[in-house]
Amino acid sequence: MQDLLISKPRPVERLLLVGVPIAMVGFALVLLRAFNPASTWFFPPCPFREFTGYLCPGCGTLRAIHQLLNGHVAAAFRLNPLMMLLLPYVGYSGFSTALDTAFGRPLPNVFLRPVYIWILLAVIILFWILRNIPFFAILGNC
Amino acid sequence: MYCPKCGTTNDGNAWKCIQCQEVLQQAPAAGTPPEVIPNYLWQAIVCTACCCIPLGIPAIVYAAQVNTKVVQGDIAGARQASKNAKMWCWIAFGTGIASSLVWLAINIGVMMTNHHSFGR
Repeated sequence: MQDLLISKPRPVERLLLVGVPIAMVGFALVLLRAFNPASTWFFPPCPFREFTGYLCPGCGTLRAIHQLLNGHVAAAFRLNPLMMLLLPYVGYSGFSTALDTAFGRPLPNVFLRPVYIWILLAVIILFWILRNIPFFAILGNC
Repeated sequence: MYCPKCGTTNDGNAWKCIQCQEVLQQAPAAGTPPEVIPNYLWQAIVCTACCCIPLGIPAIVYAAQVNTKVVQGDIAGARQASKNAKMWCWIAFGTGIASSLVWLAINIGVMMTNHHSFGR
């Protein structure tokens, strides 16, 4: 019974489940490479920043990706150093999830020791606070 | 799969029949990789980065709980934390998409209004 209710998606559905999001992300990346969110109107701003006037930990990510796609690594790091540092992990895990969904074969699993994830949480919250303090303006250059 | 002894339908990867405890498949041999319980950490980071603050933060908390409970051997707890992490990722993602669409609609509305007034 359970097998019937939670049937695994068929191959075509699996490819769509992966293909559609990848196409959308790809389209977004093409747009991001061509247009700088800092000087075009159609990239949505951060709601947190709009309402509070303070930076959030993710502020600058889209502009940083724009710089990265155009080969300006240093500019990308200036806009959001934390997210640039996390990008390799997100890229690897995201690619692994895509492979797993499409073919049922993920990349070798990276099991992070729990303490690292708790530290990451603390770092994100600390980064959030610090980049709003003028003394640490280097973290909030966006 | 059906239990060969009593005919009860069991989950596809059940190793013992839920009805009669008949062994349906051999327990995983030593050395085979254990079950991976997804912690949705990369999705949580993406949600945190793409302006769904502060909703990405609980997703990261649950992601940390998943791995903490896996290490402690609390598999049921890890599965529950995994579900919560997934739920918060979707909440954060949905909120981000919704706020962006609202923003886009307002902007396009404003542009069209301005265009009309210029025409007159």
